[in-house]
Amino acid sequence: MNDIIFTGIVIAVKILVVLAVTLGLGAYLTWYERKFAGHLQARLGPTVVGPFGLLQPLADGLKLMTKAPLLPRGIDTKLYYMAIMMALVPAIMLFAVVPFGPSFKILGHEIKPIVANLNIAILYLFAMGSMAAYGTLFAGWASNSKYAFIGSLRKAALIVSYEVVLGFAALSVVLLAGSMNVFDIVDAQIKSGIWYIVYQPISFVLFLFCLLAESGRVPFDIQEAEAELVTGYNVEYGGMKFGIFPLAEWYLNVLALCAIMAVLYFGGWSGPHLFGPFSGFIWFLAKTFGLLFFVLWVHWTLPRYQAKDVVEFAWKYLLPISILNLVGTAFLIYFKG
Amino acid sequence: MPWASEETLNRIKRSFRTVDVYKSPHFARISVENTHDITNVLKHLKDVEDFRYFIDFHVIDFPKEKERFLGQYILVNPYNFERLVVKVWFKSNKLPTAKNIFAGAKWAEREAYDMFGVEFEGHEDVKRMFMWEDYKHFPLRKDFPLGGIPEQRLPSLTELIEGNTLPPSHDYELMHTYVPTIQDIEKTEKSRITKRGQLVLNWGPLHPGTHGTMWFLFDLEGEHIIQTDVILGQLHRGMEKIAENLHYFQFLPYTDRMDYLSAVCSELSYVQSVEKLANIEVPLKAKYIRTMFAELQRINSHLLWLGTGALDLGALTVFLYAFREREKIMDLIEGNAGFRLTSAFLRIGGVHYDLAKGTLEVAKHFVKDFYSKLKEYNGLLTRNRIWLKRTKDVGIITQEDVYQYGLTGPVARGSGISYDMRKIDPYAAYDLVDFDIPVGDVGDVYDRYLVRMEEMYQSAKIVEQCIEALEKMPPNEPYVNKKHPVVIPPKEDVFNDLEDMVKSFRIVVHGENIPKGEIYSSGENPRGELGFYIHSIGKSSPYRLRIRSCSFYNLSVFPKVIEKHTISDAVALLGSIDPVVGETDR
Amino acid sequence: MIKLKKLKRNDSLGPVETVLFLDFIKGLSITMKNLVRKPITTQYPKEKITPPRRFRGKHGHFVYDGQEPPSLKAIEGFMSFEKGKSRCVACYMCQTACPMPTLFRIEAIQMPDGTKKVVRFDMNLLNCLFCGLCVDACPVECLTMSDIHEMAVYRRSQAVLHINDMEQIGATNAKAVRELPDRIWRDDKERETLWGKVKWNF
Repeated sequence: MNDIIFTGIVIAVKILVVLAVTLGLGAYLTWYERKFAGHLQARLGPTVVGPFGLLQPLADGLKLMTKAPLLPRGIDTKLYYMAIMMALVPAIMLFAVVPFGPSFKILGHEIKPIVANLNIAILYLFAMGSMAAYGTLFAGWASNSKYAFIGSLRKAALIVSYEVVLGFAALSVVLLAGSMNVFDIVDAQIKSGIWYIVYQPISFVLFLFCLLAESGRVPFDIQEAEAELVTGYNVEYGGMKFGIFPLAEWYLNVLALCAIMAVLYFGGWSGPHLFGPFSGFIWFLAKTFGLLFFVLWVHWTLPRYQAKDVVEFAWKYLLPISILNLVGTAFLIYFKG
Repeated sequence: MPWASEETLNRIKRSFRTVDVYKSPHFARISVENTHDITNVLKHLKDVEDFRYFIDFHVIDFPKEKERFLGQYILVNPYNFERLVVKVWFKSNKLPTAKNIFAGAKWAEREAYDMFGVEFEGHEDVKRMFMWEDYKHFPLRKDFPLGGIPEQRLPSLTELIEGNTLPPSHDYELMHTYVPTIQDIEKTEKSRITKRGQLVLNWGPLHPGTHGTMWFLFDLEGEHIIQTDVILGQLHRGMEKIAENLHYFQFLPYTDRMDYLSAVCSELSYVQSVEKLANIEVPLKAKYIRTMFAELQRINSHLLWLGTGALDLGALTVFLYAFREREKIMDLIEGNAGFRLTSAFLRIGGVHYDLAKGTLEVAKHFVKDFYSKLKEYNGLLTRNRIWLKRTKDVGIITQEDVYQYGLTGPVARGSGISYDMRKIDPYAAYDLVDFDIPVGDVGDVYDRYLVRMEEMYQSAKIVEQCIEALEKMPPNEPYVNKKHPVVIPPKEDVFNDLEDMVKSFRIVVHGENIPKGEIYSSGENPRGELGFYIHSIGKSSPYRLRIRSCSFYNLSVFPKVIEKHTISDAVALLGSIDPVVGETDR
Repeated sequence: MIKLKKLKRNDSLGPVETVLFLDFIKGLSITMKNLVRKPITTQYPKEKITPPRRFRGKHGHFVYDGQEPPSLKAIEGFMSFEKGKSRCVACYMCQTACPMPTLFRIEAIQMPDGTKKVVRFDMNLLNCLFCGLCVDACPVECLTMSDIHEMAVYRRSQAVLHINDMEQIGATNAKAVRELPDRIWRDDKERETLWGKVKWNF
């Protein structure tokens, strides 16, 4: 009985911590991106609201929430509102399988800093990633606008193609580690002493492309190419209803996938013990934010592809490469033991 | 060099008995006496005499003559770059169409119908170019008043809301010209395109992707465009009509509001035409100053093209890097002329002021820095595989398209035709500096991109040479030719010398005494050939001022080239054609 | 002979470049170089850039204070001037030179002793092109343009300039501008964030 209550409290605390941190971090990632993009472009980012513009996300949130809610004519109201939830919820649910650090002991119980330690964590990841397509499809259809419609069709094609490639890329790592449980993958990397990026560089590059495609970042942000479709599928949304879409798609999705990428390729929380008892957490955060920096850097440098090129790229080039990679890895494991 | 030679004209006269030829140093024309012969004459000129490059077609209104309207074609021989004007009178307001001989005449005839109300046999369902479908009047006719026909009551907001009866300013008028309603605009939209595909997408008139207020209608089948049409006229300000009521020096601020990105180049073309008509010689220092600022404006305009073109295709940072360089150029221009964008720096006979102290040092600093910045832009875009995928083999414009539609500027040079007015008919100081013209091969978007990047480099070299020449000049060289009777003298002379004060009075109040005659003269804008045709009958304002705008003809090739491409290709193609709506609509 | 330059069109990537993403890495290094440079922003409205001497801002009238050019001295006897007030002679040259026919409204009356006095000089700045042709046309150096460029108002009637505002501008702002040397810009320090240090020859 005591055990159940204790586990319940622990889970409730974990969920609250993860929710608060991720939503707050998602909002502050907007500040980070704006500052980063500003300095990259020889200008300052936000500076006026608070020191260094640190209160800017709060000001933005307040502004978006106090805007007049306008509903266009002829929309499908149920789908219009459901689209927002369908975009936000899978992005948050992705954080359920992200391990933040090594397991530690409190009051004699061993606690793993992960909300749900599933044995099929990688499969859950694919499932939640595919659910993200529903948000855009519903939004595009319910908006009763040609621009939104074209944008959502493009995104649907994109997600369908890149999910397959994502599957094959992540599967190579699973083959090496021998399990789909995130803790086992990290333990396998710590035990062998080498991070999987050394063994699987091709798979890393493929996973990176799929990350950029799933979260709609340049060079694959075809569904909201500004010069063609003026923010694409969320063109008829205003106020905080609009604010949820970039938050979920651009920031939460990217953060979760960066964390998973740190786990799969960079050894999770492994690293030299320089910071005392919290060094695992700090290393994990450092790797995630390093990858995030790289994703933002790519976003603000490269041009974007055409819609038909993106889909062609996935099916004609990435998929064969990922399958070959998987088969090659399988052969190497079989013969090397 | 630019005008047709005596032998060519005599040869034409021998083939057709009923034409009349005329040649002067700045003009060469043939007049066709029978209206029905015009089709044969044009075909002969195109096939036999090789005048196959169509430049312009426009109409002049002579209400007191027997036949009211006179049509003029301007044609160029692209092999030896000779130019010829063909005049023909309309017969009871009708003329056989030229759109089967030169495809670019289609848009020119639409504009002529819109402004003058003339009809063309063979071009039956001619639609209006700038005005909406149901507009009743023809604005450029001589009996249409300058202020329009006020037929709608349009009160100001303080009247409506506060019931205030005092007029807000001394020139406030209650009655206004007719303002089009939503129904008028929808009718225009429906009449332009008949739907053959799945979806008709409205791209514009307010859209961040079109470079200004242009309105495109795409007929889509999936992502591919089957047919498209352009609705222009949202920025039409009637400059040709305004010019008929102003003195020549007063029209100068209007010329830099057409192509507002490179104001000095447009002013230079206008000022050139007036100077050729009135035979004004410009001092050497003014020539060098004009060249230097025109080339700086060319870099300015091409940087904006680069920034917005890359922005449309997704490279968001190049936009801000290009604007950083533009800020520097605008600082230079502001220090000399007073304004950053619409500078009004040139005057008929020279420039407005001498160079401000320190300009040459700042310009040298800019040019030295600019070469390294050009390398940065090249490194970001030129061999990037995504950029290549988006721009290679997209929107190929063939040489025949260039001749038929009258394309000029980097659009023509990207397809392999070396037509550059700075070399054919050198004006300002272009024959005193050394530069190359980049010419492309295939004619796709990538070629035009390479042509413009190379042109920026060549412009920087020209600026360097001008700075060298200006540094060597002794101080107190004249910058305006104040001895000529048509030129307004500078301010210091007006204050101190009675004769100059009287001359300034006379020119401002009564206008210049430009001699009778006509002239067509053009200059190389960053976008193409900007030409001014001035017909003067000896009065103080031009009788007809026709602005041959490069963006208008460059845009007319868009509906033909974009078929079977996707929407994303349309964005890339529009960026590479680089229209400016102020010049397209005038 | 026209000197052509055929472009070298190097439009396909070699196999090494394709696999190792060298074109992406080059672009990324350029943006990284710019990331560590100083930004060039001038933070308006805390830091403002003063316009140069030749800037064409709000109009002003120079006043009658003894510094007039010789062209005014010729007709001084016909005008009724007051010290400190505008030196306009109501010749209507500015109105004639302006490309907008209805922008100026100038009225002058004849005083009992036969001299002329300007009573009304209105300019509707909402229609103004700021081209400076009126300033060029004024023969007595009266009409001028200052460096005021922040001219937002709430009503149309507030945008009309009257003669007392213009005298104020001419006596203070425009006079200060006229005294400046004819340099390309006024304050070198403000422009340094964008330009860096410029080597001057004087």
